[in-house]
Amino acid sequence: MTAKTRLRLLLCIPAIALIFVFMVLPITNMVEMSFRTPGTTDPFGDDYTLMHYTRILGDGYYWSVLARSLLTAALVTVLCLCVSFPIAWHLSRARGLKAVLLYAAIVSPLMTGVLVRNFGWMIVTALNGPLNETLMALGIIERPLRLLFTQGLVVLALVHVFVPFMVLPINNALRNIPESLGEASASMGASRMQVFRDVILPLSFPGIQPGMILVYVLAVAAYVTPALLGGQMVSVMPTLIIGELTGTFQWPFGSALAITLSISTVIVVVTFTMLTWKLMERAKA
Amino acid sequence: MSAASATFGGQRTIGLGFSLLIIALYVFLLMPLLTIVGASFTSGMMIEFPPQGFSLKWYHEFLSRKDLVDGLLMSLRVAAITAIVTTTIAMMAALAGQAMAGRMAGWFQLGMTLPLLVPELLTAVGLLFFLYKIGLGKTVLGLQFGHILMAFPYAYVSITAALRQVPSSLEEASSSMGASSWQTFRLVILPLVMPGVAMGAIFAFINSFDLYTISLLLKPIGGNTLPLALFDFLTYEFKPTAAAAATLSILLSLCGVVLVQRLVGLQRAF
Repeated sequence: MTAKTRLRLLLCIPAIALIFVFMVLPITNMVEMSFRTPGTTDPFGDDYTLMHYTRILGDGYYWSVLARSLLTAALVTVLCLCVSFPIAWHLSRARGLKAVLLYAAIVSPLMTGVLVRNFGWMIVTALNGPLNETLMALGIIERPLRLLFTQGLVVLALVHVFVPFMVLPINNALRNIPESLGEASASMGASRMQVFRDVILPLSFPGIQPGMILVYVLAVAAYVTPALLGGQMVSVMPTLIIGELTGTFQWPFGSALAITLSISTVIVVVTFTMLTWKLMERAKA
Repeated sequence: MSAASATFGGQRTIGLGFSLLIIALYVFLLMPLLTIVGASFTSGMMIEFPPQGFSLKWYHEFLSRKDLVDGLLMSLRVAAITAIVTTTIAMMAALAGQAMAGRMAGWFQLGMTLPLLVPELLTAVGLLFFLYKIGLGKTVLGLQFGHILMAFPYAYVSITAALRQVPSSLEEASSSMGASSWQTFRLVILPLVMPGVAMGAIFAFINSFDLYTISLLLKPIGGNTLPLALFDFLTYEFKPTAAAAATLSILLSLCGVVLVQRLVGLQRAF
């Protein structure tokens, strides 16, 4: 290594300091916090205890909220995949100006804040909003649906938030499949369904798997959407955690909840990765 | 594919069905944004879509609301500082990352994108305790550090991608002709990666402007960012003023999209 290269490596010091001091240390600190005793005047006490974890594991209420968080995120991930795949397929075949406009349509929501997009859904699903008006005009429903503060709306809005995160990796994977491959299988007598199932879907898996993991991890920890659109009715782990931290100032207990959520998420992601290992290997071959 | 679709009878119906599906999905994607923009121009008293008539009165109302305007100014200021600081640090880190090889480069890349991979909620909770411990709890400076951390990976990824496009032969040629490292960077590398740097700054700015969870937990005393102020406003008074504020935010992201398209092209950026 030359002196010049060594000097150049020093340039990473501020970035490493930033991430170490403001991310690695705080998260380590949070792990420590989860073992602290509850405080009386301060938000935390001086001694260490396991009581927060035993409280969470011993109380059915926390199990049910945790289960709701994990299941909601799974539902959001699957719906996200269903919405994203056709969009990504269509996008990967577009060229020129059309491609630019489609990219803009997908990226514009991505670059708009989650809060703003959730607010948009409040207008769309209002009692006299466009969704209810359309459904009534079509004769599908007779009376307007009350959607605000329901779990259904939270799921819908979360799917909307995460679709771009899924479309982009799948689109990148699909772009790498030559168009001629589909044509070749079709000319050899494969039906469209067969081409899709046996050629396109397996080859796009390297985009699908990371997309699903990313969406799941983000969806489990999403706070704004359930807080705004779920109201008091829909408790999920993130709203519970923030409530403990800002409402009742139970920092150790809030930390223990956050760590329980993280560990559960890691378990789900690792299981998913192991289950889909074969599919991934097949796509690479 | 066109030759094949002519031979199969039902293909055209499938094609039509697929087109309708795609249109429906894009309506789903854009609907929330379009309704907000529409609702902000209503002349009525309620948030509704389609809006009643046309007026700009809710934009006037927005400008007369001190809490919302203060939030907007605070968000703009924090985002501007975030963009400048993250872009500088990310530029340095990207240059260092380029000089690394093999496994070390991979770990470095992972470390630099950590704030993007770990859910914002965890980082926010950790920072809440940590800033309190070091005496920066509930201060603007603490909030600023949180924003810089969260926006950093976006700037880093954009700049690294731009640096990768610069052929290493250029750098070698420049130094063999006697230019110092600084001169090579300033006169050769920087002009070539400028579009990527600008894009990184835009991403950092927009990310900071939109952050919610971090800002909620690190909220300084007496200071609100626009998303925080907007959340409170939506909870307590649901009026078209919120649509006007949100439209400004949408406008900002559209400017970002247009700029990124002109700088490097959306297709290459995402």
